[in-house]
Amino acid sequence: MSQPSYIQQSLFRVWALAKFELIRLFFTKRGMLAILAFATAWFLILYYPVDSAVSIVASDGFKDMARETFGLLGLSALLKWQVSEFTLYWLIALFTFPVFTLGASSDQTCADRTRGTLRFISLRATRNEIIFGRFIGQVLIISLLLLLTLFATTTMAWWRDSNLLLPAIAKASQLFIELVIVVLPFIALTSFFNSFLRSAKLTGVISLLFFGLGTILVTLLTYKISAAQYLNYLFPGVQLIDIVGQDRIQVSHYLIPLIQTACYLTLASIFMKRSAL
Amino acid sequence: MITSASTSPLIKVSQLNKFFGNKQALKDVEFEIIKGQPVALVGPNGAGKTTLFSLLCGYIQPSSGHISILGQPAGSAATFGKLAALPQDAQLDPRFSIAHQLKFYGQLQGFNNKKSQFEAERTLELVGLKEVLNEKPDALSHGMRKRVTIAQALIGTPEIVMLDEATAGLDPLHAREIRQLVANLSGETTFILSSHDLSELERLCQQILFLEHGVLRQHQNVSNENLAQDQQSFITIRMAKLIPEFEQSLLSIEQVSNVIKTQDKEYLITITPNINSQADTLPIDMQILQLCHHNQWSYRQLVNGKTLENQLFN
Repeated sequence: MSQPSYIQQSLFRVWALAKFELIRLFFTKRGMLAILAFATAWFLILYYPVDSAVSIVASDGFKDMARETFGLLGLSALLKWQVSEFTLYWLIALFTFPVFTLGASSDQTCADRTRGTLRFISLRATRNEIIFGRFIGQVLIISLLLLLTLFATTTMAWWRDSNLLLPAIAKASQLFIELVIVVLPFIALTSFFNSFLRSAKLTGVISLLFFGLGTILVTLLTYKISAAQYLNYLFPGVQLIDIVGQDRIQVSHYLIPLIQTACYLTLASIFMKRSAL
Repeated sequence: MITSASTSPLIKVSQLNKFFGNKQALKDVEFEIIKGQPVALVGPNGAGKTTLFSLLCGYIQPSSGHISILGQPAGSAATFGKLAALPQDAQLDPRFSIAHQLKFYGQLQGFNNKKSQFEAERTLELVGLKEVLNEKPDALSHGMRKRVTIAQALIGTPEIVMLDEATAGLDPLHAREIRQLVANLSGETTFILSSHDLSELERLCQQILFLEHGVLRQHQNVSNENLAQDQQSFITIRMAKLIPEFEQSLLSIEQVSNVIKTQDKEYLITITPNINSQADTLPIDMQILQLCHHNQWSYRQLVNGKTLENQLFN
């Protein structure tokens, strides 16, 4: 049997690392508790705000007022969606999943680095493979959790009206892709922070400061130098306000998060190569 | 430099320097290690041993100089599965079973599920811990955890295994088992051992890398059998009790040219061969033992040569 090529071996190692992340979530007590908490939170979201709002939005008496309110907010396109459950789901998921992602993916390598486990791994996988393996693992985890919520929302719509099954599946598929693209740079950002920080808590604090103080700083700079507005592209989620209405979507709305992801992963790779394990 | 011209070195280090800020941890370190007997890395605390280990494993980058592991740079993917290590204080993930983690390391080394499982069981058996396969690290004692981390270094029978303080914290029985394991596996695997236990290193290693203040001195662990017949040789004797007249009595033996009391009850005896001695004269070690026997002096240990400690510090 011929020896696998370097690229095949490298991909195998990346996949092994990603798989290990999945097992960490689905087959450890702490991971199972996290899933349980996540499922409970989404059960409450779907059962109360979404389910209640759907019946209100769908009622004839409320439609005009909803159209007016959504129109004012630039969200009127959302009211045209055949499956109302997804209108509410989209509004909630678009802003909660990025925040959840920051928390859920805050420990990609830092605990292993502090414990010394990364030293065992780094004798068997390159630093780039570790970064990409863990990143892909996190993407798979968030994607699976997204699928779980989309599946639940689809089931709700189907429960309400069995004719909505196919439109719900179609909308769920579209939203899945959109939300995965949205969360990618958030995971990449935590990959970057993990390349030099030594605890998940610190990663959380730095992420908070990055978004909190960072946006204030850029706003102040923009006040003095208008070109500083481009610094907003440093922040994952900069396009969220533009895409929330699902109206006049441009290619750039997808390119921005993808470019941000590539940039943060490149930075993570550079920092990881230089950092001491 | 301890190499043979016909054997390419497993590890070659040249002009290696490492700075941490203004502090120089390693100064122009140079050495080569060839396949074979275990190599000892010794030195006082803060001498740079762990820094050198970390550089060889690719955990940190050198400030200057060159490291070649099996002809590749340190940390290169080409050395995966060929070089393994037990870094000081590194721990396994407490959330997963030992089997799961060892299998994972096996898979990273390119083994399939079955072979990874086999390697996990084989290496745990080597360190005498097969029964903990499905335990989590937190369920084990400190010594058992240490032996499990030694097991991870043996997955796939790597060519080089670096063990940093492998027996520190182990009880004497298990420390002895690890020494036995290293001795048994030496040959197919070249071990580099760092330890403060010089007697342990003395038992296992011929080549000694002695680091002091970041500067490397190399030693060959000298025993008398490597010396030419007309060369000065040494014998170390450790007595059971302090005997005031022992030094003088030793000096009365014709070939004994010098006696130094190196430690409490321990003497380093310098032997100068006498070419005029009679053919029927007893060998020098026999004469020393005869002296002890006649005087009813009990001895604890007789070492044919200098102890490693005396080689390094006297």
